[in-house]
Amino acid sequence: MIMHKPWKWTLWLALVPALSFAANPRLVLPDFTALANKASDSVTITLDASMLSLAARFLDPNDPDQAAAEDAIKGLQGIVVRSYTFDQDAAYKASDLDGVRSQLTAPGWNRLMETRSQKSHASVEIFLMTDANKAVGLAVIASEPRQLTIVNIIGAIDLEKLHKIEGRFGVPKLDLGATKAPVSH
Amino acid sequence: MTDDLESKLRDALRPAAPRENFEERLMARIAAAQRDPVKRRGAFTPTPATWWFSAAMAATVILAVGVQHHRVDQENREKGLEARRQVMQALRVTNDKLDLAYRAVRDQSGAIGGDPGA
Repeated sequence: MIMHKPWKWTLWLALVPALSFAANPRLVLPDFTALANKASDSVTITLDASMLSLAARFLDPNDPDQAAAEDAIKGLQGIVVRSYTFDQDAAYKASDLDGVRSQLTAPGWNRLMETRSQKSHASVEIFLMTDANKAVGLAVIASEPRQLTIVNIIGAIDLEKLHKIEGRFGVPKLDLGATKAPVSH
Repeated sequence: MTDDLESKLRDALRPAAPRENFEERLMARIAAAQRDPVKRRGAFTPTPATWWFSAAMAATVILAVGVQHHRVDQENREKGLEARRQVMQALRVTNDKLDLAYRAVRDQSGAIGGDPGA
C-alpha cells in the first residue's frame, strides 16, 4: 500500500515509537523527586540484569530466604522499586501515578487483580505482561494512605517461585495463578 | 685468474711477526680486565647496589599489582553485597504489597463467608 498523503506517513511515524513502547515490560517511571522530598522514608531500587547477576553470586544458598531469592531472580532482567512513606495522609495525589498507569493500559499489559480495602483504605493493583503464555513483566501499584509503592519486575517471571518466596518470607501464598480472567482495558 | 687469487691469499695469510711489545700490552690488558670486570667490553656484571635497586623495583611492582588486585576484589565484593541487599529488600517490598492484596481479598471473602486461604 502506497500512502501518498504526508499526514499518513506522519501517523505511521508517530505509531512506531508508540508500538515499541507498548511491548516493553520495563516501565518508564516518572521523576518522583517531589514525592521523595515530601516522604519521611523512601526506597529507590533499580537493578538491571548485570546487578541481578552480581547479586546472585553473593546470595547464600544455605540461607532459605536467600536461596529462594536466588531461584526467583533467575531469568529476570530487572527489578525496579519505588516506595515512599509519608508522615501524614494524602501526601500524594492519584495524578502522580498517571504516567505509570498510562503505560499499563498499553497492549500486552493485563490487570490481574485490583483490591481495595475498606478497613485500611489501601488499594493494590497487580498487572502482568505476557508473551506466548509466559509472564515477561509484572507491575504492582500499592496505594495506602501514607505509603505509595510501585514495583516493576522485568523478565521471565515464574509465579511459582514468587509463591515460594512468599512462603519463605512468611507471607501467605497469593493465588495469582487462579486469576485466569484478567481485567481487560 | 685463479693463480692471482691464490697469490693474494698467500700474501694475506703469510706469517707475520707481532708488533713491538705485543706480549706486554696483551698481558697488561688482561690484568686490567681482571682488576675491573665492569669495564670488560660486552659484559655486564651488576654491582650489589644494582641488585638491591632491581629487587626493590620488582617488589614494588608486585606489591602495587597485589594491592590493586585486592582493591578491585574489595570493590566487587562491596558492590555484590549491596546488590544482594537491594534484591532482598526489593523482594520483601514486593511480597509485602502482594500480602496487602491477599489480606484485602481475604477480608472481602471473609465478609461474604468465603475461605480465601483454601
